[in-house]
Amino acid sequence: MTAALEYVRASRWYGQVIALNDVTTTVGPGVTGLLGPNGAGKSTFLKLAAGQLAPSQGEVRVLGKPAWGSPELFHRVGTCPEPDAFWENLTGQQFLMALLRLTGFEEAECVRRAQAALEQVALTEARDRKIGGYSKGMRQRIKMAQALAHDPDVLLLDEPLSGMDPVNRRRTVDLVKRLGREGKTVLVSSHILHEVEAMTRRVLLIHNGRILAEGDVREIRDLMDEHPHTVALRARDPRRLAQAVVGAPHVISLSFGAEGEWVTVQTARPDEFYAALPEAAVGSGVTEMYSPDENLESVFRYLVAR
Amino acid sequence: MSASAAARPPAPESTAGRDTSRPVPFPRAARAVFDLALEGMVWSRRSLLMAILLGLPIAFGLLFRGVIVSRLPPRMTAFDLYGFVIAIYYIRNALPLAALFYATALIADEVDGRTITYLLTRPVRRGAILFGKFAAYLVTTACLTLPAVVITFFLLTTTRGWTGVGARVPDLFRDLGVVVLTLLAYGAFFTLMGVLLRRPVIPGLLFLFVWELVANLPGYMPRLTITAYLRSLIRHRPPDEGLAEIFGQVLPTALCLEALGAMIVVFLAAALWIFAAREYVLEQ
Repeated sequence: MTAALEYVRASRWYGQVIALNDVTTTVGPGVTGLLGPNGAGKSTFLKLAAGQLAPSQGEVRVLGKPAWGSPELFHRVGTCPEPDAFWENLTGQQFLMALLRLTGFEEAECVRRAQAALEQVALTEARDRKIGGYSKGMRQRIKMAQALAHDPDVLLLDEPLSGMDPVNRRRTVDLVKRLGREGKTVLVSSHILHEVEAMTRRVLLIHNGRILAEGDVREIRDLMDEHPHTVALRARDPRRLAQAVVGAPHVISLSFGAEGEWVTVQTARPDEFYAALPEAAVGSGVTEMYSPDENLESVFRYLVAR
Repeated sequence: MSASAAARPPAPESTAGRDTSRPVPFPRAARAVFDLALEGMVWSRRSLLMAILLGLPIAFGLLFRGVIVSRLPPRMTAFDLYGFVIAIYYIRNALPLAALFYATALIADEVDGRTITYLLTRPVRRGAILFGKFAAYLVTTACLTLPAVVITFFLLTTTRGWTGVGARVPDLFRDLGVVVLTLLAYGAFFTLMGVLLRRPVIPGLLFLFVWELVANLPGYMPRLTITAYLRSLIRHRPPDEGLAEIFGQVLPTALCLEALGAMIVVFLAAALWIFAAREYVLEQ
């Protein structure tokens, strides 16, 4: 019996910089959150599992095989990379078809799987539009679709919710949870605790290239209550959004961004804020949302200092 | 807190008619990459520029028929002029430049555009990725060049009627072969440069316009260039006087074919080997 992902004393450095430092851990079926601020080593952790980097020391194994130099693994591994990069001239459907052909499927099977994946991420209607014309959220979703289309057993998702609007964020969270329930091994990275918490209770906390802790997200969440949480929202009608959230008891402060489309909210109780957000977002046309890194950074500083 | 190390049974080794225990077969993977790369190349700005560069002799041919033909020196025939276009314009300049700008970008474009991740996280050998992209380069440039050469040939050689043109057609076919060899040889060399160097264009230009001048020297030095072998394969050279000296010494055809074949194989094999071993994510 083998865990889907195994890191055995794995280290990775770039020149003098250590990105991952002597990590030993395993990841099994279900959803596991990889939580850490930017620069903590999350992407390196994922890229080692995705066979894009070789460990400088130690071993990284996926489904029992070394991740580096085993391309056959990608029949059973799907990756959703973090960069917002595409062949912009391809339509959503062409993009998926091209990658499914590269996964070895027959043409008819490629068509069937591409359609199913588009449906899963609610992009069926946009399938014949060029990706270059997609919104940020649609681009995130088509990236998810290519990771899912070949029905892999292991999914490596690097910041999959980044830039999504609240409705699609909810939809993607549900999708990830369903994949976990189906027995797939899903490793999802994020620097937003509440984002991870919405998908799973099992987390790996990574900081300065080391696994700080692993286990139940609630124990970390308790620490978060001491730190105000900041959320930036882009809306078609930012004033209406501000009106909808400003009176809520959990909102500490609110400010408008320089370009006028962004509203930055500081909240003392993120759970309540996120629960109330979809309703507030509907009328004001929220198109994008992200949480700056400082929230988690402060928690990590606290954890490291303990 | 404790680690969750749950285990799971292995998935079936074969799903949906695929053998998932090994990478997608090389020809199939290369074909899939070829289709994807061709789509990107055909509709790129680079191809538009290259179509202009490689099609320029057609405009020259039209100009020649209308204006220049009456001013041609008596010892120079239209066919000599065509030979000049092939050897100096295509083989020495335009095709190596086309190869430089396409072949060095085969992987660099994917790295710069950060799309290489999609290719490297598929169950395909890296060699198939590079091979498929190289094939797409070859088809794209050949499709841009070969029709232009044929049109230029007929535009220039039929200025004074079709007499004697039939006898020259075998030379045209030979030229088309040399064009393909040029694209292959320089393409393989610049593909190697593209996977070796982060910024290969300047070194490539230096190679083309500094190192390749060695082909004009006497002795064995020209054998260290690519162009010396290619220009030796052009059968219809201008008359002994005038332009002849810029063609340099003529090497035996068999030697040229062997040397070019060896270069293509060695450069491509080295490029495939380096690409297979290299981490491209770092450059993102």
